[in-house]
Amino acid sequence: MEHYLILARSVTYAQRMQRALEKTGIRCQIFRAPRDLTDLGCAYVLRLAVADLPQALIAIHREALDPVQIFLYQKGTYREVAP
Amino acid sequence: MIYLDSAATTFQKPPAVAAAMQRALATMSSPGRGGHPAAMRAAETAFNCRSELAELFSLSNPEQVVFTMNATHGLNIAIKSLVPPGGKAVVSGYEHNAVTRPLLALGAHVSVASGPLFEPDAITAAFDRLVTPDTDAVICNHISNVFGFILPIEDIAAICRRQKVPLVIDASQSAGVLRMDMTALGAAFIAMPGHKGLYGPQGTGVLLCGESVPVRTLLEGGTGSLSIHQEMPDFLPDRLEAGTHNMPGIAGLLEGIRYVKRRGMDAICLRERQLTLLLAEGLRTIPDLRIYALPGLCQQAGVLSVVPETKDVEVLGEELAERGIAVRAGIHCAPFAHRTAGTLETGTVRLSVSDFNTPAEVYRTLEVFRGLSR
Repeated sequence: MEHYLILARSVTYAQRMQRALEKTGIRCQIFRAPRDLTDLGCAYVLRLAVADLPQALIAIHREALDPVQIFLYQKGTYREVAP
Repeated sequence: MIYLDSAATTFQKPPAVAAAMQRALATMSSPGRGGHPAAMRAAETAFNCRSELAELFSLSNPEQVVFTMNATHGLNIAIKSLVPPGGKAVVSGYEHNAVTRPLLALGAHVSVASGPLFEPDAITAAFDRLVTPDTDAVICNHISNVFGFILPIEDIAAICRRQKVPLVIDASQSAGVLRMDMTALGAAFIAMPGHKGLYGPQGTGVLLCGESVPVRTLLEGGTGSLSIHQEMPDFLPDRLEAGTHNMPGIAGLLEGIRYVKRRGMDAICLRERQLTLLLAEGLRTIPDLRIYALPGLCQQAGVLSVVPETKDVEVLGEELAERGIAVRAGIHCAPFAHRTAGTLETGTVRLSVSDFNTPAEVYRTLEVFRGLSR
């Protein structure tokens, strides 16, 4: 199923983004980042529905939070999209 | 036992603290160390604890809340982040060794803003004289751990802001008792233990870090982030939290903080001051005992020092312990404070209360003191 992954620099940062999204009613889950998505080593991602991304970006920017990278999962592969 | 040594560690904790610690042992691993439920439960608990602390001390960002082993650990990070070897620091005359020993280790030039006990204006004037733009840091405790003296931290913070000098507050005795707005104070760091007025377990502490304040690591190691890189992450809290977290401790601390929030710091402070006033007024009637408190307990929190005129403080401490009263006798790791107050030769017997003490315990303590004075 298609979805977006928002890459965070740490688990705490991912949790801050998750709280920011929850405030606007967007549900998302935190997972470990797939190893081939990042050269950071250990990292965390927020997984959210495709339809939620525009509103999610507004919500996290409102709280001055910056995703490291954003990926779209489509047809079995991840593709980076501009943050 | 009547426990009157809460300035060292609060012994009675809300029951939820131990229950949360047991739950953490059974269900949590470590935050940032995996995506499995045990790691994510730990991450959730750690984040909730950071968020509660951020709210309690008026910080907008929970990432500025760093877990430490104790206040001493936090003070070491803060001091070593701000004061270079041979640098200049100004401290109050009531500091603990947790402040003065790191400064000595750095070979810092330390000026002491001294003033008599319970005279905040004199302390403010001393800081005003000594703090200059070339001061690397001001380090000051909020409440003296020996005398309960509440230092004029808002005025000292104003001096620091005016001179653009970073301020480190040692909130060891005040966290959970006195309100503190870190953003309004403009402090660079506030260090506190988890195991005193926040009612968490021993082995927990917190360092609140100001925005954009440079932080130097005391420990380097795994953080569960940026693992490919050999340098420590440049962001908080990871930069200062190398190694596995004390999750039972953090889970217990979270419940302690929730207790403080439910009770309210003003209510806790009022109760502790009432109990201490009762103690001070009762002890005044006992001969050969010097009491360090102003009438009405002006400018003093729930810590009271007394000096017996006719016996050693350690002897009195032992006699009280034998009769079921737990107090602390000696120098309390704060020779600066004793030098300032003139009690370095004798030390003091310190009685310190928590929210869990009762008037009945105070009356019993007074009875024991009376018995010992006969």
